[in-house]
Amino acid sequence: MELIISLTINGLATGMLIFLLAAGLTLIFGLMDVLNFAHGGLFVWGAYTGVFTYAWSESFVVGIIAAILTGLVLGFVTEKLIITPVYGNHVQQILITLGFMLVLQEMIKVVFGPNGVPVKVPPYLAGSWEIGELTIIKYRVFIIVVGFALFGILQFILKRTKVGLIVRAGVMNKEMTQALGINIKRVFLLVFMCGAALAALGGMLMAPYSGIVYAEMGMEYAILGFIVVVIGGMGSFQGSLMAAILVGLAGSFMAYYVPFLSVAVNMILMAIVLIFRPQGLFSVVKG
Amino acid sequence: MIKQPSILSKTNLFYALVVGVMIVLPIAMDSRTLTILLTQFCIFAILAMSYDILLGYTGIISFGHAMFFGVGAYSTAIMLSDFGPTLGSFMASIAVGIVLSSLISIVSGALTLRLKNHFYAMFTLAISGLFLVVAEKWRTVTKGNDGFTFRAPEFFRERLYFYLFVLICLVIVFILLKRFVSSPFGKVLVAIRENEQRTRSLGFKTLGYKIIASVVAGAVASLAGSLYAVSLRFVNTSVMTMDITLDALMMTIIGGVGTLIGPIIGAGVIEFAQHYLSGLARDYPIFERWIIFFGILYILAVIFFPRGIVGTVYMKYQEWSVKRGRKSATLKFVEEKE
Repeated sequence: MELIISLTINGLATGMLIFLLAAGLTLIFGLMDVLNFAHGGLFVWGAYTGVFTYAWSESFVVGIIAAILTGLVLGFVTEKLIITPVYGNHVQQILITLGFMLVLQEMIKVVFGPNGVPVKVPPYLAGSWEIGELTIIKYRVFIIVVGFALFGILQFILKRTKVGLIVRAGVMNKEMTQALGINIKRVFLLVFMCGAALAALGGMLMAPYSGIVYAEMGMEYAILGFIVVVIGGMGSFQGSLMAAILVGLAGSFMAYYVPFLSVAVNMILMAIVLIFRPQGLFSVVKG
Repeated sequence: MIKQPSILSKTNLFYALVVGVMIVLPIAMDSRTLTILLTQFCIFAILAMSYDILLGYTGIISFGHAMFFGVGAYSTAIMLSDFGPTLGSFMASIAVGIVLSSLISIVSGALTLRLKNHFYAMFTLAISGLFLVVAEKWRTVTKGNDGFTFRAPEFFRERLYFYLFVLICLVIVFILLKRFVSSPFGKVLVAIRENEQRTRSLGFKTLGYKIIASVVAGAVASLAGSLYAVSLRFVNTSVMTMDITLDALMMTIIGGVGTLIGPIIGAGVIEFAQHYLSGLARDYPIFERWIIFFGILYILAVIFFPRGIVGTVYMKYQEWSVKRGRKSATLKFVEEKE
């Protein structure tokens, strides 16, 4: 029993981290119909700036804020320079954001050096609770809480506030929203910046969990994020959350019971889902 | 009645001239580096052409092309080390690689090619990721990440002979693919790229066409992988990584999608630029990160040269010849008046 609980908590924590990454992708794809392969680059930039600020200021919270700010700024630049010329063309979007991904990943090595940087969990989140034979690592619980909280906030903003209404209207009918006097370009810019900030936040929270940040982590985790988005159905938050949890749990249980399959489990999950439901589990995009 | 282009057309003479120069160049220069560089160029030109069958002619983005390259590289490496470094086993290994890649692309294509563009891209990414994991874990066969060295056939010990062999492969593949894309079959592929819905409503079973396109692309990529393994005399899992796919993608885009000569030129530009830039790194450390320049080049290419080098040149040429044609028509008119 203890084993199952602790495996579940591990899986949930990993799943939540992947959700943070996938949430940004879902936001950008689901609302703006943009395939952003540079997401991993934003993720790793968030992680590095956050970690360096954290080391410099010795405050984890300041690190998180720095990561989010980096995400916003990079999101602004990316949307203006890279995404604007290729709205509406998926093939070109894939190609251009992939190029930008390369630039972002290599720039990390230029700015912060080519070697990985170790990261420690802040003291108040370090350690674990012991309940009987069960050990619960605090940082994992923290991640799970943050993940669910962010999911709630995003759902609230999109479903219950005026901003969310405008964004959803803009997605449904660009011209009509524009005609109602709303600057749709600015709305899209804002959405993209939020997506980038989510990626950067994901990177920063991932850093103490994996204990080290390195330039190539962007691509590795971006692939994981994409898998989750595909499994969940492109553009659906609930789908991303479910799929992220599924991938996290599958990973943690497989690693214990069938270790040799654990590296491939995500790919296998995705293959199975795509064969039976090519549009993903909870798709809102027709196709 | 359309005039059939003769074998001795201007273009073909030009190609023959280029091949002639490529044969003479390393013999005349007698430089080991140049021979190796040209060999790499030819191998990646083959890979990039095969990628363009998918991207340029059929309009499919695949992120799993390195998988076929890797299958070719591993079948050659394993067979050469198990059955001895002879020409026979090398040829047999090429055939094995091609058969394996064809089987893989039939199975994966049948499962996934009905997916829409971006889902297909993700799926190929996942499948090739799976192959990479298998290659890394199945250490008894692949020796994992460390890879293994093997001996090349006696005949290829001489770098120049191997280069000539690769060049012949390039020419043969080019001619065969040219026939393939200009055949009625190739025209259907272009139609699928332009409008799949309409092609289907015209009565073509597009799925079958797409699968065969991916089989052809996979088989040619596997040949490139076999040649690559022999050129290094070493193989490890890096032949299956995303980098190889990205290279092929970049060569195709920069050279020009939807042509066969484009990817060859793209491969040339990138191989030589890579060599030159990493040479510069000795003097200017910033060039150690030459991938940044590649990324920027790539972004600029997508924004400003969506047709690539060949496409842009071709467009300019057409504009120019239209202008010239009009001028001569005007001249004729004036002459007639007089």
